[in-house]
Amino acid sequence: MSKYHNFMQKPLSRREMLDICKGGFGSLAFMSLFGVLPTACGRSGKSILDASSNLNLGPHYLPKAKNIIFLYMDGGVSQVDSFDPKPRLTKENGQDPRKKFKVDATQFDNVGKILKSPWAFKQYGDCGMPVSELFPHIATCVDDIALIRSMTSQFPEHTNANYFLHTGSGLQGRPSMGSWMTYGLGSENKNIPGYVVLDGGLIPPGGLDNFKNGFLPASYQASILRAGDHPIANIKPKEKIQNLQEQKLGFINQLDKQQLAEIGKVDAVESAISNYELAYKMQSSIPELTEFKAETKATKKLYGFESDDPHTRGYAAQCLLARRLVERGVRFIELTCPKVSADRWDQHGNLKDGHERNAHAVDQPIAGLLKDLKSRGLLEETLVVWTGEFGRTPFAQGTNGRDHNPSAGSMWMAGAGIKGGTIFGRTDDYGYRVIENEVTVHDIHATMMHLMGINHEHLTFRFGGRDMRLTDVHGHIIKDILA
Amino acid sequence: MLYIMSAILLSCGHSDASFEPLPKNVDFNFHIRPILVQNCYLCHGPDPSSRKANLRLDTYEGATAALKEGGFAVVPGKPDKSQLIERINHQHEDKIMPPVETNSKLTEREKALLEKWIKQGAEWKPHWSFIKPSLEEHKDEMATIDLFINKRLEEKKLNKVSTANKNTLIRRVSYLLTGLPPLPKDVKNYISDTSEHAYENMVDHYLNSSAYGERWARHWMDLVRYAETKGHEFDYSITGAWKYRDYLIRAFNDDIPYNQLLKEHLAGDLLEEKRYNPESGVLESHLATAFYALGEGTHSPVDVRQDESNRIDNMIDVTTKTFQGLTVSCAKCHDHKFDPITAADYYALYGVMESTRFTPLDSDRSISKEITAKEILEIQDYVKTMVSEKVQPKTLSQESEINSANAYKMLGDFRNSDFDGWVSEGFAFGNKTTLGNPIINESSGKLIAFNDGKASSRIFDTGVFGTLRSSNFILDSDFIGVRARGHKSTIRIIIDNFQLIKNPIYGDLTKGINNSDWKNYTFNVGPWKGHKAYIEILPGQYPGQSFNLSDNAFIEAKYAISYNTQWPSEIKAPDKTLASTYSPSQINELNSRLKSGQTKAYFPELVTIIDSIKERSKDLKSSSFVYGVTDGFAINSPVFNRGRYQELSEDSIPRRFLSALPLGDVAFKSKGSGRLELANAMLNKENPLTARVMVNRIWHHLFGRGIVETVDNFGLQGKLPSHPELLDHLAITFQNNGWSVKKMIKYIVTSEAFKRSTITNKELLAKDPSNIYLASFPVRRLESEAIRDGILVASESLDSTLYGPPVPIYLTEFMQGRGRPKKPGPLDGNGRRSIYQEVRRNFLEPMMTTFDRPIPFTTFGKRDVTNVPSQSLILMNDPFVIAQAEIMAEKLLAQNDLSIHQKIEWVYMNAFSRKPSIEEITNASKFISLLEEMKKTEVSDVDIDLEVWKEYCHSIFNLKEFLYLI
Repeated sequence: MSKYHNFMQKPLSRREMLDICKGGFGSLAFMSLFGVLPTACGRSGKSILDASSNLNLGPHYLPKAKNIIFLYMDGGVSQVDSFDPKPRLTKENGQDPRKKFKVDATQFDNVGKILKSPWAFKQYGDCGMPVSELFPHIATCVDDIALIRSMTSQFPEHTNANYFLHTGSGLQGRPSMGSWMTYGLGSENKNIPGYVVLDGGLIPPGGLDNFKNGFLPASYQASILRAGDHPIANIKPKEKIQNLQEQKLGFINQLDKQQLAEIGKVDAVESAISNYELAYKMQSSIPELTEFKAETKATKKLYGFESDDPHTRGYAAQCLLARRLVERGVRFIELTCPKVSADRWDQHGNLKDGHERNAHAVDQPIAGLLKDLKSRGLLEETLVVWTGEFGRTPFAQGTNGRDHNPSAGSMWMAGAGIKGGTIFGRTDDYGYRVIENEVTVHDIHATMMHLMGINHEHLTFRFGGRDMRLTDVHGHIIKDILA
Repeated sequence: MLYIMSAILLSCGHSDASFEPLPKNVDFNFHIRPILVQNCYLCHGPDPSSRKANLRLDTYEGATAALKEGGFAVVPGKPDKSQLIERINHQHEDKIMPPVETNSKLTEREKALLEKWIKQGAEWKPHWSFIKPSLEEHKDEMATIDLFINKRLEEKKLNKVSTANKNTLIRRVSYLLTGLPPLPKDVKNYISDTSEHAYENMVDHYLNSSAYGERWARHWMDLVRYAETKGHEFDYSITGAWKYRDYLIRAFNDDIPYNQLLKEHLAGDLLEEKRYNPESGVLESHLATAFYALGEGTHSPVDVRQDESNRIDNMIDVTTKTFQGLTVSCAKCHDHKFDPITAADYYALYGVMESTRFTPLDSDRSISKEITAKEILEIQDYVKTMVSEKVQPKTLSQESEINSANAYKMLGDFRNSDFDGWVSEGFAFGNKTTLGNPIINESSGKLIAFNDGKASSRIFDTGVFGTLRSSNFILDSDFIGVRARGHKSTIRIIIDNFQLIKNPIYGDLTKGINNSDWKNYTFNVGPWKGHKAYIEILPGQYPGQSFNLSDNAFIEAKYAISYNTQWPSEIKAPDKTLASTYSPSQINELNSRLKSGQTKAYFPELVTIIDSIKERSKDLKSSSFVYGVTDGFAINSPVFNRGRYQELSEDSIPRRFLSALPLGDVAFKSKGSGRLELANAMLNKENPLTARVMVNRIWHHLFGRGIVETVDNFGLQGKLPSHPELLDHLAITFQNNGWSVKKMIKYIVTSEAFKRSTITNKELLAKDPSNIYLASFPVRRLESEAIRDGILVASESLDSTLYGPPVPIYLTEFMQGRGRPKKPGPLDGNGRRSIYQEVRRNFLEPMMTTFDRPIPFTTFGKRDVTNVPSQSLILMNDPFVIAQAEIMAEKLLAQNDLSIHQKIEWVYMNAFSRKPSIEEITNASKFISLLEEMKKTEVSDVDIDLEVWKEYCHSIFNLKEFLYLI
């Protein structure tokens, strides 16, 4: 602690700032520093905030979840090969799908024959949820999982569907769900960003805009964390001599404070000064995160650190890191997929090989994460979401692949506030379309927000003449999967 | 913490205004409407679809109409008879307005205002920004900025602070006008200049510096979501986007009047009076239309019609926010909830955009090229007439009959002399087909033959740019076929204006033409029956979705047809009799006579003419392009109910301007898009917004806050102007001064208000914490570009070269994803200003976004100013910043014989535009000794002096005085 004493300022003039703020105008910088509130109240005395009372100030009601871990299955996992068994595909394997049902336009427009799943399904747990051979480890956690078999997307293209899943809009440049969460709730830990993306090797199509702040202030964009000893951009001091950086920061702080005294307590400048304090602390708190020394061998094994598959080991490290971030109060953590040789989950061809490689990389680490969270009591306050951007077609693309299918997909949630062992929604006999309890991306967002204690209709940001929401004008909470 | 926050918010919500006495005259615009907008209009506003109890409070008629349950919401003059007053004061939870569940609650002052207003007669006025700027008082020439500012300061009993010192002023003017700090020598000159006009001369110096254009172009680029790639999945380049950036820099530097700038943006391709660069002669005015084409480009959308509606929505959004400060896009799904903008208005503009086509534009097009092309065409006509007069056919033209039972439809036949209704633009195809053009031996002058009819892009030469496009048609067959030949050229079927044509899905809609033999090219369009389409034929290619044109590229086409199943066995050419030339059958007859030797003709006198045509044609070649727009054919769009194209209204809305604004009821007559009429409507003398919106943007950039704070929203939900009279005064002055942006800037920066010190005091902070009334000059953080450029200036490594292709973006390991460039750009961006660093949508420069450059997806006239640790981390640890500190130290140490004091002074002048105080020198010296001590302990043979000064300079970059305009 003493290391930065020489430049750290006194626990400052918050009271003074409050005096300023009482005039009717919030101290922007001060607030955004704590990830709370970027927008100022207006001259008219009304702001977006009053419009729906004190939102952005923590939850609207008692939250079930404090954190979210979003396991993004980039490319689209095939529902009929994972969580939604369809015996009819086996029966009608090789037949012409167009003779069975209406086939929508697809991304590749190369519609083949009905294709049975190459994997067998078995029932697991007390609930008896069927899971395919792809996920033997996750299968052991089904009693904690609420499975949704009726997820839909509005877009059959990766990029639009990715933007849609991440931002509630198919267009580029809108704020992502993690940005909304931190905008609404702030961060519990000011030494670590509130919204972190663990880059497992594959940034999804659409790029970093999946994780950006859109029209929200830049403070709410995700920090990208990568494996290795330089996890976040510019996190490592470049000074080689011990204490040199501290000396420089001390010098800077001294001059800055003189400056501030001269111009008279301008809060933007004051906050910029205190930012250095935070930045300095982040330099040590972030690298500490990726230090796994304190983790036991058993824990590591649970996640799959001893696997022969390097991708399993890589994803295991990401999952373990996610737990460590949860422990440190990070609100929203997304894991992107590892770069297995067969390209994400997007198997337009060679379904069997590709899905097996992808599943092998993530199955054990995810199960390890669920079990580890549970044994530490963290699963009660952590929502784990597992989903792709859409499902895949029950008929082949070419001979042995599957094309994108926005009309049906499977996803699951586990943990805080979730009723484990539930199966919600139903698809037709082919797993092609939803026939019962459709769950839209907006519904998923509404439910995630609800569990975090946010009323999705009330978390708004005035932009371009509208009070914008993550869920636009849509979204229903999926009550049936809630505990 | 949370508790403290709520305290702040509460104080915001109810504001000090609660205790302010009510105004003598309650004004609808300034006192009443804000209350109604915030609390009532969602259910009682202009949008009928969400209106409750059939009551609307946005019009006088609505508010005073008899209510269903009896009585009247508003009875002018009689608050006690007005239900509105009763309901807002109601004790009962079910009755109180606004309803409890909306969480809105009127303050006591708001209630009192409403009551007083009704008592005073409940006068309704149009929204302030929809009334033309006018001044009741201070119309005379005595009116100045300071008059209006001081008036408000007096009203608020605020004492203004003194004028800033000269160092501060030159730094302020330099940064705000050019985005760069002043050079030390300019600071010294200005300080020593004690003449009366010193300040004005200094202002002129920066207004006339070319860096001025770079600064103000970058402001403008925020409005038009400027980017150089299309983002989405593969982040394809936008052809020549940077030429639009250069256009802006030139336009601001040359102080092109704003009305001209607006016109060029909206309709630069349609102007009767084009604008050429006075030095190079290059055509400027059409380059501005690139702004339409800077949006996101979707990769392989399965629903191409939806994609079009998204694209147009973005174009409408950007256009209306940028030029009118209105959020018209809110009316996509229903009438605007607050503003007098209807869904019909939105779809009137939708038609304008739908009738607009994207196209590469020849960015080298110049007045001399235009003259050359015109002259060559005239000479060619002359040659043709001369030859034809001598050699005449014997047969009459055969009016051939086209069998109507043909299994194909003719979409364009170029075998006669006209283009059959297709549009030729650029130079390449000229104004008619090749039919009857004589082919003459270049040395002997012997007439060899007459050309048959075809559209040809090499009537001048290969490598000349031009396009040939059909009118719109609805696809109703399985195939489109074009008979063509060419080299490195392209035919594309454009469906619903979709341009990013490639696999999967769309690959079959574009064909490379790379064969000098005539071939039938077929396009499988079956999947898109019912969609609107047009055909584009052009020399050149779109590799990687970016257009280029090779020197030897050309394309020729005979006809285009649509058909089912099979290419028809015979496609007859109709003989059209046109005065200008012989018909195809006559040309056939002549050619067979020439071939058999029956007819012989020599034109030795034409040899030199033909030779000179050939030579001059080379000047018409192009290799430089920018993606912009051209006019298509007029389409009036129906309204999409709930914004869905699947649910169309029966009637189409004529293309026109916004109905609530002057000329908004006049349907556009143009056979094309009507963009020029749109521009003219915005520039109509009666338009209340155009000038106001722009002067407010200028004010915003100079003071850090607009007179209307919501610079992109002058609608009912926007903020009210802090100084309404001043805004009108500026808007009127702006127009009277020929819409000169430079004059307006000069007018503002020479005001006393602009020259005030930033040094504030407790009293001002308490009375006017946001500094709305400008008793002092607002302190502000520099923008991302100014911080980076300021570092480069301080380290004396700025390369101030103007213009040119962007410097490739420096890629960190955190910048991953599809479309990632193979090679990273240089860490220091070649020392060029930030405006020249590449803007790749999917790989935005972290330093820029972290310091709040907006994400380029729509108009951002006002940047956020956030304050986060990642900004500190960049300044502390980013390799660019550290490298620049080292360069700065090298530059410093390269000057021999400087004492430590002089060194510190040099750093201060470079970084802060001022000399250090004695105390600061002492302080710095102490710190430098400390650094020396530390460096000495380092076990390596580093240059200690360099190391020490590097660390010192690096510390300087982190000082708030360096990062803020103080």
